[in-house]
Amino acid sequence: MVYYTKYELKNEEELRSVLQGIDNIFIVSCNKCFKEYSTVSEPEADAVAALAAAAGKTVTGSAKLDFLCNRVQTERKLASCIPTGTENVLVISCGIGVQTIADMQALPTFTATNSLNYIGHHGMALTKKTCGACAQCYLNLTGGICPIVDCSKSLLNGPCGGAKSGKCEVDPNKDCVWGKIYARLKKQGRMEEYLAQGVQTRDYGAVNVEQVKAYVAENRAKRYEGFYGGVHPAEHKDYTEALPLQAFPEPDTVILPLAMHIGAPANPVVKAGDCVKVGQIIGEQVGFVGAPVHSSVSGTVVEVAPHTHPNRGPGVLSVVIRSDGRNTLDESVKPNKPLEELTPDEIIDIVKQKGIVGMGGATFPTYVKLKPGKPIDAVLINGSECEPYLTADHRMMLEYADEIVYGLRAMMKAVSAPEGVILIEDNKPDAIAVMEKAVEPYSNIRVCAAKTQYPEGAEKMLIKKVMGRQVPSGKLPADVGCVVSNASTAKAISDAIQKGMPLIERAVTVTGEYIRKPGNYMVKLGTSVQSLIDYCGGITGEDVTLKMGGPMMGAPISDANVPILKGSNGVIAIAADHTAPQECIKCGRCVDVCPMELEPLNFAKYTDLGDAQTLLKLNIMDCFSCKCCEYVCSSKIPLVAKIAAGKGLVAPLLKKK
Amino acid sequence: MLMTKLKSKETIASLPAGKIFLLSCHGCKEVGFPEREIQALRDELAASGRLAGEFVTDYICNPENMRLRLKSHLAEIAEADAVLVFSCGVGVQTVSEFLDDTRVYAGCDTVALPGFQGVTAAQYDCGQCGECYLNLTGGICPITACSKSLVNGPCGGGKNGKCEVDPDMDCGWGKIIKKLKAQGRLDVLRCPTQIHDFHTDEATKAAKES
Repeated sequence: MVYYTKYELKNEEELRSVLQGIDNIFIVSCNKCFKEYSTVSEPEADAVAALAAAAGKTVTGSAKLDFLCNRVQTERKLASCIPTGTENVLVISCGIGVQTIADMQALPTFTATNSLNYIGHHGMALTKKTCGACAQCYLNLTGGICPIVDCSKSLLNGPCGGAKSGKCEVDPNKDCVWGKIYARLKKQGRMEEYLAQGVQTRDYGAVNVEQVKAYVAENRAKRYEGFYGGVHPAEHKDYTEALPLQAFPEPDTVILPLAMHIGAPANPVVKAGDCVKVGQIIGEQVGFVGAPVHSSVSGTVVEVAPHTHPNRGPGVLSVVIRSDGRNTLDESVKPNKPLEELTPDEIIDIVKQKGIVGMGGATFPTYVKLKPGKPIDAVLINGSECEPYLTADHRMMLEYADEIVYGLRAMMKAVSAPEGVILIEDNKPDAIAVMEKAVEPYSNIRVCAAKTQYPEGAEKMLIKKVMGRQVPSGKLPADVGCVVSNASTAKAISDAIQKGMPLIERAVTVTGEYIRKPGNYMVKLGTSVQSLIDYCGGITGEDVTLKMGGPMMGAPISDANVPILKGSNGVIAIAADHTAPQECIKCGRCVDVCPMELEPLNFAKYTDLGDAQTLLKLNIMDCFSCKCCEYVCSSKIPLVAKIAAGKGLVAPLLKKK
Repeated sequence: MLMTKLKSKETIASLPAGKIFLLSCHGCKEVGFPEREIQALRDELAASGRLAGEFVTDYICNPENMRLRLKSHLAEIAEADAVLVFSCGVGVQTVSEFLDDTRVYAGCDTVALPGFQGVTAAQYDCGQCGECYLNLTGGICPITACSKSLVNGPCGGGKNGKCEVDPDMDCGWGKIIKKLKAQGRLDVLRCPTQIHDFHTDEATKAAKES
């Protein structure tokens, strides 16, 4: 690959003169960017340290960092790193890194490098095409071939005439780009059009400095607003956002896995041949982190046997029930006392008995969250639905606003929280308006409209955005006085209290460019994904990826004969991506977008090296697989899979602890 | 670091008439993308019946991925008189190479932003001048922080610490002197006169080799 690194070490003579006037030096070096990621640390820092020692200078310490110019991360990494007694800082980096360090702290700062002045900018994907960013794109005149970058002389008005046999006179290895432009225009029958153009003069002042300055300020403010990083993928919510939730037709048979949540699978309490009713318990909770499972239909148990699970694969013990179509309610399904008369413990018990788990996808048993053992300041409802394509929560907020507020009030009472906040992204103005109306009667509940930014809905991001609090590494929301719950979960809690109905159905968005008739449905748990797809007109086209959940965090499913679970918010059919991964080029995009402020490229690197200790030190366990890094990766490296493998390497170390 | 901005209405209107297929790239949306303006343009085209089709996708600069995703739109593109692409220059070139007998037009101009890595624009810029002056200037770059890229001190035109070229900009040399003074290093400015070498690294390398 082309080596795009932007600096090189000054020569020894120059370096000696830099060192002459300074002593007690701390050396900061950048591990370079835009280069093949073959070594994890660069040799320059050691060479400079040796030279300084030879010159009789004291080196107080050194730090080798990735992407010095990333000021947010560099400030954190260098904090309390520079020992007292240091008088000067020597930086090995491009000009941006040096200026970042010089501006960050008061010590005199020097550079040991010179920048390199390569011209041109390569694309974000690995491609040989470059853009000169001249601010006056000529591609419309030249058939899409760039005369600025590809012509040695950057000529705009035709060839110089010096080419020989189609080769450039400056560099005979290069094709004459005007020859190529001519061929392309001729092929498209555009020569007349081209020749009729006036003479082009390049405007070297075309870059509007004011615009750029304003943009840089806005870009920096916006990216670090609320939480660090994140991305904004194309939303594609227009397929379904305006379609009301419809009751999905009664399934003939449901397959209810006993593991629909994080924690121990439930224990079956029915057997083949048993008659069950809607809401009847069929699996008992096992362990503290666990949840019971209830029947979503009335009918007969066909078998209790292993079935394929959308996330866990084949062999997960499940209860298969054939519906009698009558939907007879179980005796246990009856309204509870009104919220005002329920005690916190009674609320928690209802949430526990009714099998309610986090419906945003994580499926953590909700009752456990309601027993934090710590004072809680606020219950936050996640109505952000930041995953592209999905609109199930959006529709829930529009159609069940009062129920969501009821569920929120129940949770606030359960944990004695004085405040409730519903966070909604600003791409759902209708939901914001509806929810604001629904919370009007309650002075202690507010709606927070936030900039659309994935992964807003992740609980740590949400807390930072709404409360401005940082959940420390390895800690939980309750440690900073917060409980976070999904909007659909709040609605389920309302049903559990007001109707006595356990969690047996949920809103599911069936969508994607390859679903014939996308829609939003209320679906009984255990309904097969295949029947949803069939009902929506089937899949059009080939080479389609099917996912349960959104395109970012959803799990790919190869077999559509799997059931809808408590955490299944969507079924999407989107274009498959066959881009072959290439070598990491250290473009730094993953570091810039990781909302947990981690370094995904290094997870890939050290996982390949099998270095579990370093992975642990880099806080790999903080990664929650939001996939932002993989989404922006210039080399399309499957970072989420690499990180999962890395976590596997680290797991034995954690056990030892 | 790049930013794309929409070409002027007149420029876009001057492109050949007829049916147009719109292709928008969202891969680096965080890097600056005139989303609203493009939507307005799209609505206008649709209203006048000139929209042959449209497609929003990520990373059209990635040729394999772009080809795969564009496959299902090839019929619409064949119907169109031109494809109008909203992306940086790299994306437009990649598409025009793939659709090499179709008129492919750029709807945006591309502007460079400070910073080399990541997707957030940097606060400082590096002019890649090839001979770093930061040691003489307290870590503030005279090439990028001074409108005139002066390397031997201020031009004298600054007023109240502001640049005479751009009154919204601080005088780079004013900042440099303040910083050096604070660090008690003003004497470094007694160095010999600096002469900026405008050779590119390629030119220097070629000269060395020949």
